[in-house]
Amino acid sequence: MTDVHAIVYAYHSSPRLGELTRTRTNASLPFAGRYRLIDFALSSLSNAGVRDVGVIMQRDYQSLLDHLGSGKAWDLSRRRGGMRLLPPFGNSRGDYSGTAEALNAVISYVRDIPQEHVILMPADILCNIDVAAAVNRHVQSGCGVTAVCTHRTPNGTHYRFTTDDTGRVRQILFRQLGAGPGVAALEIYIVRKAVLLEILDRCERENRFHFHRDGIAAYLERGGTMDVTMHDGYFARIDAVEDYFAASMDMLLPGPRASLFPTDRPVRTKERADVSTYYGEHARVENSLVADGCIIEGTVKNCVLFRGVRVAPGAMLENCILMQDTVICEGTALKFIISDKDVRVSPYVTLTGSEKLPLVIPKGSEL
Amino acid sequence: MLLAGGQGSRLYALTAKVAKPNMPFGGKYRIIDFPLSNCANSGIDTVGVLTQYQPLLLNRYVGSGQAWDLDSTDGGVYILPPYQSAGERGSWFSGTANAIYQNMDFIEMYDPDHVLILSGDHVYKMDYSKMLRAHTAAGAACTIAVIQVPMEEATRFGIMNVGEDGFINEFEEKPAHPKSDLASMGIYIFDWQVLKRYLIEDENDPDSDKDFGKNIIPKMLAAGEKLLPYRFEGYWRDVGTITSLWDANMDMLGTTSMNLYDPQWPIRAKSPIRPPHYAGPMARIVHSIVTEGCVIEGNVENSVLSNSVTVGAGATVSYSILMPGAVVEPGAVVEYAIIGEHTRVGAGAHVGGQPDGSESWGVATIGPDVAVRAGVTVPPSAMIYDSSEVQA
Repeated sequence: MTDVHAIVYAYHSSPRLGELTRTRTNASLPFAGRYRLIDFALSSLSNAGVRDVGVIMQRDYQSLLDHLGSGKAWDLSRRRGGMRLLPPFGNSRGDYSGTAEALNAVISYVRDIPQEHVILMPADILCNIDVAAAVNRHVQSGCGVTAVCTHRTPNGTHYRFTTDDTGRVRQILFRQLGAGPGVAALEIYIVRKAVLLEILDRCERENRFHFHRDGIAAYLERGGTMDVTMHDGYFARIDAVEDYFAASMDMLLPGPRASLFPTDRPVRTKERADVSTYYGEHARVENSLVADGCIIEGTVKNCVLFRGVRVAPGAMLENCILMQDTVICEGTALKFIISDKDVRVSPYVTLTGSEKLPLVIPKGSEL
Repeated sequence: MLLAGGQGSRLYALTAKVAKPNMPFGGKYRIIDFPLSNCANSGIDTVGVLTQYQPLLLNRYVGSGQAWDLDSTDGGVYILPPYQSAGERGSWFSGTANAIYQNMDFIEMYDPDHVLILSGDHVYKMDYSKMLRAHTAAGAACTIAVIQVPMEEATRFGIMNVGEDGFINEFEEKPAHPKSDLASMGIYIFDWQVLKRYLIEDENDPDSDKDFGKNIIPKMLAAGEKLLPYRFEGYWRDVGTITSLWDANMDMLGTTSMNLYDPQWPIRAKSPIRPPHYAGPMARIVHSIVTEGCVIEGNVENSVLSNSVTVGAGATVSYSILMPGAVVEPGAVVEYAIIGEHTRVGAGAHVGGQPDGSESWGVATIGPDVAVRAGVTVPPSAMIYDSSEVQA
């Protein structure tokens, strides 16, 4: 797959993720025991053999830089091509208001793309997409733009596309909530480079910031050709704490897990030299996803445990997400808790959140 | 120089297709991870891995050495198989010393002062840089790492007798009446120029077995070279037999053996890309090690599970070692057993049995890529190479 170049948007921090994105962008939000959200986009690309990936970042990207390194984990550290980090250049006007503004901020990079097609992907959409199939379809269709869409209903407001008899997009529907006509956009696009430059140029001239709301809508109005390609496997958009919690709990179901982690399209991530997980004499574990490097001596039920978590004897965890190196001391009982990295909870603490309002314990805190 | 060419014939079915250093161990690891990690942690940046027996999987595993941080610009990990030179017939490595002799040109490329000789079949954590410091401080020609073993077991080892000057004055291979309890760990540091001389001399000796323990060390002692014992204290296990492999894996469940969680001395492994393990609603996991990619729906106790193992609903795994990709189907029982890579134990089958005090009892072993048919019983001490043995 050498005729496509990828650009991943990794600059966004959802305010509704609160403490979880205080020190990071959505892209580097830890997920499913050992991953960061951006791993799914990068792995989808890498598994399709995409060799060139630009990652747009704007601020709070220390955590992301630390995670990405040279791109080696995704086979994107190359002599030719590979991963390029794209921080803002020159005078930045504050936070990017939309993806078109973000792309225009790195427009010289976009102009220099040697490939004929560009795939645009948000780093915070959780799915494992067959990028090779999508790109092949796009190239064969001859359309200027191909949108990756789903028949399923996304959480939150989203865009939809209606199509004609031949499957070409007729209309874009804004701000849809729940089920509706046509198909739902995953906000992943494959675009001919020439079309992309034209869309971005118009947005820049008309001072518009949103790639789909402004750019794609105007492109369709001008009579631009657009195809859709379907991804009906698992996906989730992570925009708020409850989205994050729900998607994490989805990972305890065989269907979503199989869709996100198919054996032929593995999800790659930064390696850590971890030991296997040890379960003690009195450990109890039920319906949980547990990464390597944990020591579990208490009770764990309906939980997602990241690498290096310690659960002391007599601790009771239910419906919790414990990020890297969380330490839970003896006799502590937690329900509906999300603990960020390096949290330590003292002995005999009881804390309870709820499914709609899980309690987030900020990174590095001691309770 | 890591000697990784041995067959490990006492592991039978487990090493019929792979070299012993490639044997999975302790859930996350393969045996070779221990010497390679020790090298990286000790600041050694150039490692030659001498392979001969079934090297393909081992070569693939070691790769560029990147997993151990050994892919440096000047050094790196080099797989060294036997090779042929112009005008020579070329030959297999005929002994440990001959393996190094055949690779003298490789060592010369780096013009080292010292050469560290390691074997690929031990599990331990050791700082070779401290051993090197002791070697240079003592002005020794060779330093041999030794470990204290129980006197009654000393007959199984190469035993070093130490003189009053602190240097080794006698070496006895598996002595009937040991005079000391210091066993050689098969870890040597040599002054390269000295070793080179002895290797060439030994190669020309038609009566020699071309072995470090049997030939090189005794010859150096006889010639009055200074051989320093370097005492190692800590966990060290040879995993050359089914029993010792099983024992050492079980040690990983205890707290007394090795601290694998030490961030200052990480043992690194090349991990397959798998998601975290999943324990189902009816799973029971007690006193066990579980690795990424596993899906556990049944009972697991006192066991070591490598990556991507599946234990079906109602199945029981106890006191067993399950190597990567092993599958235990629903209702099967696996106890006191070692199950090879990608081997499938059919539904309701029964592998192994609890110790009954009899002489004939032992751990049941099933090699890699075997399919044990549903409902079949595999008795304790069994050694299964092939699916055809477990069809009845």
